[in-house]
Amino acid sequence: MNAIEVWLEEHALLVFCCGLAIGAIGIVLRLAQAVYCRKLGTVVGLIGLVSIGLRLPELEAALPQAIFGLMAAIAVIASAATITSRSPVYAAIWFAISLLGTAGLFLLQGAHFLGVATIVVYAGAIVVTFLFVLMLAQPEGNASYDRISWAGFATPMALIASALLVGVIANSLPSFGTPSSSSSLEQLEDRVLHEAHVAKLGSELFARHLISVEVVGTILLVALVGAIAIVIQGKPRRRSAEEGAAS
Amino acid sequence: MIEPLIKIAILIGGLMTGAAYFVLLERRMAAWVQDRVGPNRVGFPLSQFVSGLKDLRLFGLGQPAADGVKFILKEEYTPAHVDKRLFVLAPISILVAALVTFAVIPFGDVLPGGVFGDEPIEMVVSPGAGVGMLVVFALSSIAVYGVILGGWASNNKYSFLGGLRSSAQLIAYELPLGLGILGVILATGSLDIGEIIGEQARTGWWFALTQPLGFFVFCVASFAEAARLPFDLPECEQELIGGYHTEYSGIKLLLFLVAEFLHMIAASFLIVMLFLGGWHFWFLTGSGSEATWFQAIMRLVVLNAKIFLVILFFMLVRWSWPRFRFDQLMAFAWKVMMPLGLINFVVVAILDQLKIVSGNDSSGMNLVCALAAWGICIGAWVAISIAGPLVADNRPRRELNSFEIDSQM
Repeated sequence: MNAIEVWLEEHALLVFCCGLAIGAIGIVLRLAQAVYCRKLGTVVGLIGLVSIGLRLPELEAALPQAIFGLMAAIAVIASAATITSRSPVYAAIWFAISLLGTAGLFLLQGAHFLGVATIVVYAGAIVVTFLFVLMLAQPEGNASYDRISWAGFATPMALIASALLVGVIANSLPSFGTPSSSSSLEQLEDRVLHEAHVAKLGSELFARHLISVEVVGTILLVALVGAIAIVIQGKPRRRSAEEGAAS
Repeated sequence: MIEPLIKIAILIGGLMTGAAYFVLLERRMAAWVQDRVGPNRVGFPLSQFVSGLKDLRLFGLGQPAADGVKFILKEEYTPAHVDKRLFVLAPISILVAALVTFAVIPFGDVLPGGVFGDEPIEMVVSPGAGVGMLVVFALSSIAVYGVILGGWASNNKYSFLGGLRSSAQLIAYELPLGLGILGVILATGSLDIGEIIGEQARTGWWFALTQPLGFFVFCVASFAEAARLPFDLPECEQELIGGYHTEYSGIKLLLFLVAEFLHMIAASFLIVMLFLGGWHFWFLTGSGSEATWFQAIMRLVVLNAKIFLVILFFMLVRWSWPRFRFDQLMAFAWKVMMPLGLINFVVVAILDQLKIVSGNDSSGMNLVCALAAWGICIGAWVAISIAGPLVADNRPRRELNSFEIDSQM
């Protein structure tokens, strides 16, 4: 047992990367058509997840560690299920669940506002809108053409992008690569973990980043006006033309 | 560790009993409004145990227990054509969201220390949640899932229509709800519900007095969010046979109904705490963060009395107004509630800034500000009702062609 732990300690990065690879294989298997392939994919994916989880940095207390593990597992499993669900409605619901897991992680870190805002904005507004549209579009749920996004050029690009992302994140974890600098931790204490961090966030947004906020607001307004313009289709119909068409 | 568990037990027990007896109260209110007698028979069936005794009626107080037992023992029928997983998930998610809301809502103020330990006990499950108001908002937006999923998983046209109507309605009325809350948060400078109440107690000015427009907007929006009449389009019995819960029966239906009542109770809690001063009442409860035993008990009584009155108001409204038509509902949200909410927000910001700039925080200044707010409230109301009157004509109309529909848009 001890030898295994020592081996794990020495080859932490290797185990982590192997876990990632196994997880990726599991997701690909989940995307297959045959039922046994999908079941195998679930098992392989879970094995990958466990081997990633083996070498995560440990927290001091047991309860936060357990909650962290639970929330992280929910977030990861739900995201994997989001991209592998066959029914778009189920995909949307899994997405909402993964957002809940993410929000839980934020809350655990003390970033209360960010956690709650994630739920309000994403789970509460955006995914509900998705669901609304999906239900109108496909009442029976299954759509094979949704899998087109996985074909051709997109798959390798997605793989490269996600590999880079995971590599960067893994490198910044203290147990694998460079230890995080203490100055950024102090900044974190001062900003996010501060008691009145909502007020701090507000003054930061509306003092230092005022122009960005205004620009984002304007872009959203333009999109809204555009949507209304599409609905109205340019010009109002004329009474005479319509009556002529009717008679 | 044991203290939150006791609070949770009190809260869930109180809420569930409360919801059950509010159903009875609602039925008695309905009967009273409609000049009927209402459910007044179910009491204690003594004759079932001892022959020769008469049954006790107890003014119908046994009705909730009988209803609960009926719901639990009834056949729980799952139709064959439903999406089974989502069909089960929907009532659970809506009840969970409705219950978790109460974790950040205080159900009293503080109990002084000395009897239950040395520290004063705050009457809220998770004290010091700095973003409490936002948590309530987030969970109320999670509750939409239960309705949408229930409507969709039932695989029934009426249920589906109910789910669609509900999601459109809840999304539309979340905006005025947020605008109403925004004014209060601006005036307090905190998202903590306890601090919002504390601010009203400290100044003695309830936010309903200083922000009347915000109060009206928030009340109407919370009626809509709780899907109470006149906003009960998601489940209107006459058109949709119950809407999203048409296909449900037994305990799952019970979960939906309880969740609905919890939404109403949560809405009344919020109306009372944000706008009607929470536990504060002049000369009775004190206004500091510390309290003597008398004040602590008075605060509990005042808070619960206010909530009870607001719930009675909810029930009275149910039998006083007819239901909106769907286009009226949407026009009301976007053309009336949104502008009024924005006006309220701007007015609150200006008056607040005026107070800060003049450095005058006396009661005279407060009175002037409140009067100004009421004046603007009446002015805005009149202006909106002149500028965009609602189409209140419900008579069947001759066929409209699209030109006229365009002109109404």
